[in-house]
Amino acid sequence: MSTSTHFVFFADHRPWLNVSLRSVMALFGGYGLASMVAATLAVGLPLPRPDAVMTAIMLAFLVHMLAALWVFGAATLTRAAAGLAMPAALLGLWLWLLPVGATA
Amino acid sequence: MRFDKPRHFRQSMSWLHTWAGLVLGWLLFAVFVTGTLAFFRNEITTWMQPELHSARDDGHGLERAVAVLERKAPDAQQWSINLQGPRSPVMNLSWREAPAAGERRSAGRRGEEGGDADSGLEPPGGPAGRGEGHRAQDMQREGRGDRPEGARAEGMQREGRGAGGRAEGGRGEGMQREGMRADNAPRQEAHTGGERGPGSARPQRGGEGREMAMAAPQAEPAQAEARQQGGQQAQNRLIMDPATGEILQPRQTAGGNFLYRFHFELYGMDRLTGRWIVGIATMFMFVAIISGVIVHRNIFKDFFTFRPGKGKRSWLDAHNATGVLALPFHVVITFSGLLLLGFQLMPAAVLTAYDGDTRAMAQEMRGRGNANAPLPRPSGEKAALTPLAPLVAEAEREWPMQGVGAITITNPGDARATIEIRQARTEGLSSRGAARRMVFDGVTGEVLERPPVAESSAASSAWNLMTALHMGRFASSLPRWLLFASGVLGSLMVASGLAMWVIARQKDREALGRTPRGHRLVEVLNVAAVSGLLIAIAAYFWGNRLLPADLAERNLWEIRVFFSVWALAALHAIVRKYKAAWVEQLTLAGVLAMLLPVLNGASGGVHLGHSLGAGQLQVACFDACALVLGALLMFAARKVSLHVPRAKPGTKSRPAGASKAKKAEAVDELAAGLPVALKTEEA
Repeated sequence: MSTSTHFVFFADHRPWLNVSLRSVMALFGGYGLASMVAATLAVGLPLPRPDAVMTAIMLAFLVHMLAALWVFGAATLTRAAAGLAMPAALLGLWLWLLPVGATA
Repeated sequence: MRFDKPRHFRQSMSWLHTWAGLVLGWLLFAVFVTGTLAFFRNEITTWMQPELHSARDDGHGLERAVAVLERKAPDAQQWSINLQGPRSPVMNLSWREAPAAGERRSAGRRGEEGGDADSGLEPPGGPAGRGEGHRAQDMQREGRGDRPEGARAEGMQREGRGAGGRAEGGRGEGMQREGMRADNAPRQEAHTGGERGPGSARPQRGGEGREMAMAAPQAEPAQAEARQQGGQQAQNRLIMDPATGEILQPRQTAGGNFLYRFHFELYGMDRLTGRWIVGIATMFMFVAIISGVIVHRNIFKDFFTFRPGKGKRSWLDAHNATGVLALPFHVVITFSGLLLLGFQLMPAAVLTAYDGDTRAMAQEMRGRGNANAPLPRPSGEKAALTPLAPLVAEAEREWPMQGVGAITITNPGDARATIEIRQARTEGLSSRGAARRMVFDGVTGEVLERPPVAESSAASSAWNLMTALHMGRFASSLPRWLLFASGVLGSLMVASGLAMWVIARQKDREALGRTPRGHRLVEVLNVAAVSGLLIAIAAYFWGNRLLPADLAERNLWEIRVFFSVWALAALHAIVRKYKAAWVEQLTLAGVLAMLLPVLNGASGGVHLGHSLGAGQLQVACFDACALVLGALLMFAARKVSLHVPRAKPGTKSRPAGASKAKKAEAVDELAAGLPVALKTEEA
């Protein structure tokens, strides 16, 4: 498994910093992404509101768990971060595009 | 393994499994053990009140209950009877005084409020109950002292809690509800309470009520306070022996409820803080379980592999076997644990969908349940109450599997009396919170209605399925024992994982010639958290019997015994060597547990020989479990004491130059079952 030299960050070479950053990403980044999932799906799913909220919360916990696996499984820190940031950005876009009425 | 070097995905997962499991593993063990015991918290509470042990059922309890209520509360607006059953030998009677003229409206309103607060948020099927006022009252009644906490102030009024700082163990579910409310989170687990009742809000309330009442029989003064504080009506309760009609006065105890509450909100801190801590630990557990599954790809093969007497290998096999055998349980219990705290842990969903207004969500969900009809007003005409036994028999015929759990009689003695009978357990897994009810005319005994149970949507069914399994409220004896056994396996899985971390690093320590500080820390925490906790729990039961029965704040003293003994065990773990600490503590825990049945017989309880014969199964099973678990602990102590670390000549030794860290990692990976090829590649 070779890493593309392109996206290797200096912290990738420092074992302690590497692990610490991954832990922070898994804990807080994972929670942030999960919260985005919860926030977006709660209004974005075409379900009655309470159902959408419950589904959103269930999926949010799954996403947090998967995010943690992803962050520690990713080859480089950059990839780990991108894997959290991109879905979060897409969810943010979705949430932003949702009609205002849907959130009432 | 290092993250700054190329590595395989499974190596990463192995690392994640090791550390996610370790950092909060000690807490997780405590949560697993106390949560497992909480499956039987009613039975534990019964054991801890030997005054109730000799109560029995002769089939005529109902008549006696009505007679007692007629004597004690002839003018009450509502009577409630929680029946004895497989989980409790006694009947719990309670009543609600008729409100004074001007008060009726406000009481009603308040009740409704209590209603939304709870029931709505019970996501699925909605609350089945209508008597919301009843509910609010229960809360009030439950309130007998608790620590004053700012966060709860909001709910105070409903709760009518007594003065602060007391009756810790007996904290009512009302408080829990209230806590959620203060937090503005849906009261998902409002219902985690009264295990005994069926899923619907009310029956549970009944269950809670029982516990409350049992936990603090001396609640009178506090109740008076509650009355003053809350300005609400008083609710009174009694515990009755069904066979004699005698009113029992059990000792005050923190009971099984303490263990139950400890398992999700710990102790001695704000309850929301406790829930956050347990919630975070649960997420670690979830990650550890899933990464563990990924690492152990050969999950079924591993399951049939057990190599006893081979040191680390055996531990690994034990860890795998306990993990895999109950894997579905572990996954569900962990995920549903998250869901039960879900509205608190993941507020973002309610934030966008309801602007953070959990009450609004509560209301919307409640809309799906049955409408909450107001309590019927009395007509003012006197009329004799119809005998209850035939109605109960009719309900039993209707629900042969679930049985009857509780009876509520509104306007007793009036021509407009109604009698509502509720199931003892919920019917299905997907309809948590939806116990069926039958309503009878209180004079003629005719069936007035069989309110339908609200349908669950797909999402709420999924949610309910998870949380219902977690709480076991649906469960009759066999499923409950299966849940208990799975919980024991889960505890063993966590404990063996913790032990393995130390064992896997044995060679490091040999190479180094000493025990690094970090290893020592893990060793001490392992002993203190595993065997120390078991000693503390055993000591908690001993304290229950050895403390004077009329001690003030008795329930608090039981809890103090628990934590003091745990602290002593931790000190012992620091002072003694690792192996000696294990042997001594496991032996002590085993002895304490095995002697519990003797203590029970000697301190006023019904001893095993008698309880088995007399069908006092709750007590007999507690004693039998204590014997079996105690014997297993003694066996474990013996195994540890006989264990001699094997010198392993000929095992592949690493090059002398390999760093100690690398060795530990190698052992970790070996433990994780990674192919040797991977490791050499890494080297």
